[in-house]
Amino acid sequence: MNTTMTRFSQLSFKSAFFTTFALSLFITSCDAPDPEPEPYESGVVVLNAGNFFDNNGTLSFIQNRSTTVSTDIFQATNSRRLAGSMQGYNEIDGKGVILVDNSTAGQDKAEIVEIGTFKSLGTLAAPDIENPRQVVRVSANKAYITCWGATGDFSNFYPNPGYIAVVDMASRQVVKKIPVSKGAENMVVSGSEVLVGSVGGEKALTVIDLNTDTVKSKVELGNNPDPIGLDATGQLWVYSAKEMIQMNAQTKAVGSRLKINTTADRNVGNITFGRDRQNIFFGLFSYAADGTVKGETYSFTIRDASISLATPFIRRHFSGMAVDPTDGTIYAGVTPSYKQAGYVVRYQPNDRSVKDSIRVEIAPSGFFFK
Amino acid sequence: MIGLFGSGAMAQPGPVSLSAVTVRATAPERFGAGQKLQRIDSAALGQFRFQNLSELLMLQTPLAFKNYGGGQIATVSFRGTSPNHTAVLWNGINVNQPMTGQTDFSTLPVLGFDQISVQYGSAGSAVGSDAIGGSLLLRTLPDFAGVGLRPTAGVQIGSFDNMQVQAGAQYTGQTTEQGQGAGKTVVYSNTFNNRYPYRERGFYYIEPTTAYQQGLMQDLFWRNRRGGQWSLNTWLTDYAVTVAPADTLGRERTRTQGYRTQLSYEADRWTLRVGWLRDVLDYAKRDFSRPSHSLTDRLLTRLEREFMHTTANGNAWQVRLGGEVVHYRTRVDGYGGQLITENRADLYALLRYQTQRLTVSANLRQGFVTRFDPPLTPSLGADVRLVQRERVGLTARASVGRSYRVPTLNERYWQTLGNPDLRPERGLNAELGLTARFQPSPAWQLTSDLTAYRNRIDDWTYWNPDRGYRVENLQQVLARGVEWSGTVAYGQGRWRAGGRVGYALTRSSQLLAYNAYARDIVGKQLPYVPVHNTSLMAYGSYRDVRLTVQSVVQSRRFSTFDNSQSLPGIVLTDLVLSAPLKLGPVRARLQGQVNNLFDALVLNVKQNAMPGRSFALGLVVGN
Repeated sequence: MNTTMTRFSQLSFKSAFFTTFALSLFITSCDAPDPEPEPYESGVVVLNAGNFFDNNGTLSFIQNRSTTVSTDIFQATNSRRLAGSMQGYNEIDGKGVILVDNSTAGQDKAEIVEIGTFKSLGTLAAPDIENPRQVVRVSANKAYITCWGATGDFSNFYPNPGYIAVVDMASRQVVKKIPVSKGAENMVVSGSEVLVGSVGGEKALTVIDLNTDTVKSKVELGNNPDPIGLDATGQLWVYSAKEMIQMNAQTKAVGSRLKINTTADRNVGNITFGRDRQNIFFGLFSYAADGTVKGETYSFTIRDASISLATPFIRRHFSGMAVDPTDGTIYAGVTPSYKQAGYVVRYQPNDRSVKDSIRVEIAPSGFFFK
Repeated sequence: MIGLFGSGAMAQPGPVSLSAVTVRATAPERFGAGQKLQRIDSAALGQFRFQNLSELLMLQTPLAFKNYGGGQIATVSFRGTSPNHTAVLWNGINVNQPMTGQTDFSTLPVLGFDQISVQYGSAGSAVGSDAIGGSLLLRTLPDFAGVGLRPTAGVQIGSFDNMQVQAGAQYTGQTTEQGQGAGKTVVYSNTFNNRYPYRERGFYYIEPTTAYQQGLMQDLFWRNRRGGQWSLNTWLTDYAVTVAPADTLGRERTRTQGYRTQLSYEADRWTLRVGWLRDVLDYAKRDFSRPSHSLTDRLLTRLEREFMHTTANGNAWQVRLGGEVVHYRTRVDGYGGQLITENRADLYALLRYQTQRLTVSANLRQGFVTRFDPPLTPSLGADVRLVQRERVGLTARASVGRSYRVPTLNERYWQTLGNPDLRPERGLNAELGLTARFQPSPAWQLTSDLTAYRNRIDDWTYWNPDRGYRVENLQQVLARGVEWSGTVAYGQGRWRAGGRVGYALTRSSQLLAYNAYARDIVGKQLPYVPVHNTSLMAYGSYRDVRLTVQSVVQSRRFSTFDNSQSLPGIVLTDLVLSAPLKLGPVRARLQGQVNNLFDALVLNVKQNAMPGRSFALGLVVGN
């Protein structure tokens, strides 16, 4: 393949990838205290997507909330690379799951690691895991991984339905595949249900019964419904087609649809809850004629009757964003290019001032707080 | 029997054969006094006849390759530059693929060329565009001496269900009243099924690929009684490589086809050359029947006139004046699919002056491109033979020269991302070298070659991620380094032994901070350019049985511009044993090869493992 083609398709690919990193479950271990602190016990895991065709996504670790960064922590422990784009990370009952998306078909995987050391405990490989998108804990020792399955070319990128790989964390095996919408993407766990969004052009949210691992129902909401999470009052928020939809998580009755009133060339990304789930941040960005990306970050509260775009929360667009649940600090990823390390810029939640900027690795696009 | 030799020797008169009938136009490297030229020796050409040029050059030169493995693309970094900074000349014509401006070295066979030389450093004034880091010179030559028909055939079976078949013939007619004809035909077919017995090595996947390569080389020569010579050279290639072939949705296929033919007539110091080059590239994912298609035709005409004068005291002047016009016609889906045409022209004057101790060359070239003119490109170089004795020779050389690169068609015409307003890249290269040879006794021969260079390239193009990968003249790169190589050869009776050691230190870095984050890049080693590169080759032979060990040791290669990530260093060792075989009246040669002898783990640029130890057995009959 020639260089330009590589770069061009990478661009199209990347732009399809502006995904949100939903706040992950926060697990505290109640086991006997470990006498020796492990290297990655407490801090922030930064997900660096990497450059797609270089297969060089990594995890960085910010010790506690300091400015000390350990880079490529999986490689540091296991003396090998993950060899793919970094697609997701979550911790399930004492084990971490890293989603790795390789540029070559059939080489994707999920690495299961010890959470304190990131020592590899096992690998889930293709065809069980193909184009993994997100991993969540659904119950004790059970994880769901959304997967696109094998993708096609750009004329038909999602030739397959997506699926959820049901992982038994004890045996570290995929025990079942649940077919869902094509382009299966983000999940939100709500009681005994898992709500599954998608980016493949379908309109319904898929509802899974997590006890039986079967599809329970589909809820039509709008194009590419993206479940954001449950807010402080237990209401479910879903993003679809420039609308923030608030709905009853149990009955699925739509409460309100808040329109993001903007032009067609503006894209929505980086949707994440603020501290205490009282507000929602999102980014709006567009490509200028000269190819530069211009964008800002906005915020609205879960009680707002409409979304105001009058004053951006931060006049900048990021390659990833999340809020530290312990103190509300905003972690924002900056990607100067996919061929050099990016930065994490930390903002104070109250006055929106920049606290500091930390150099991490390529394309910081997600965060996991522990 | 020296494996390779440094160049000072090449600048001397001798290797260029002047036919008895006429003065042939000499190769452009003859005007490269002061520069380093490395000619790959014929033993290596024979030994590597089943391999591609990236494999040969990686083991025998400091050229570094960005390799995807398994028959996929291998691009070169010559003296710390980009893949489109190496000119690849086939019988004097630049055959870099015009869309990308580079050559996939995995598609260049070793077989079929009579002479392969590596010209180090800028040669913009003698060669034209692209010759910024160096040039690769591939040449086919007539053999008028060996009258008769000499057929040859070869087959090699390798690990992973890989097989290569070659056949050819060399033919030379009797000299008649009209003249004499000679020619050569070579066909080759390589099938790389790459059925690896493992899916991964050291937790790194081996990328599943298959590759098919077919080629035909046809060279015909006719020299007439009036001293003229016709040459008709044709080289056709059809290569296809498929990644993940078993995955019917995710598989990707890249097919490249090359049609190259040129006709030249040399007489009375005039040379007229016409050529047609067609490059086709088809890339498809999933459904191979609807690929993204690229096609570029080039029609070339070149006229050269040589003037020679020898003074009374034996000093020789040689001047070559030349002009070339190339018409480009390109249709590429990525450019919008419409026909784009442009014309390029070059005018040049090359001068060589030679005395007993000194060879000087001074060259000048001006290129003209539709809507886009490269700069005037001069160069000056000299070889000084400091010591010239029977057993000891010492030659110093120095050169300084400009170089340039016309932006590729992709860089200018790719929809949205291409930039028609790009400026040409401009390089300024200076180098110093010292070549020594020493023959302490008739049995021993030693050579040593040391070169230091500095090459600054302005307006280096960059697909700028800040602007959605639009291409801009953003960077300024300084490449500098030191190269040393030494050879030793020993011969006593029927025993021969020898070896070559080469070492290159390459520092190539970006100088300009063009945005806030570029300060993380300034001064850092360019990606995929190893700082240290060592190659070793040792051989021993008794009669015609020859054992060769060759090894390349490369320091880590950074994969990012800020040097925050790297690919681990490489240690690769190959072992080759070849022996003659008698098949009745037919001469044959059997060659066994062990690749990656120590089963080292090497990662390609996609973080896939390259294959481990593998074996190949080849048989060549005839010739």
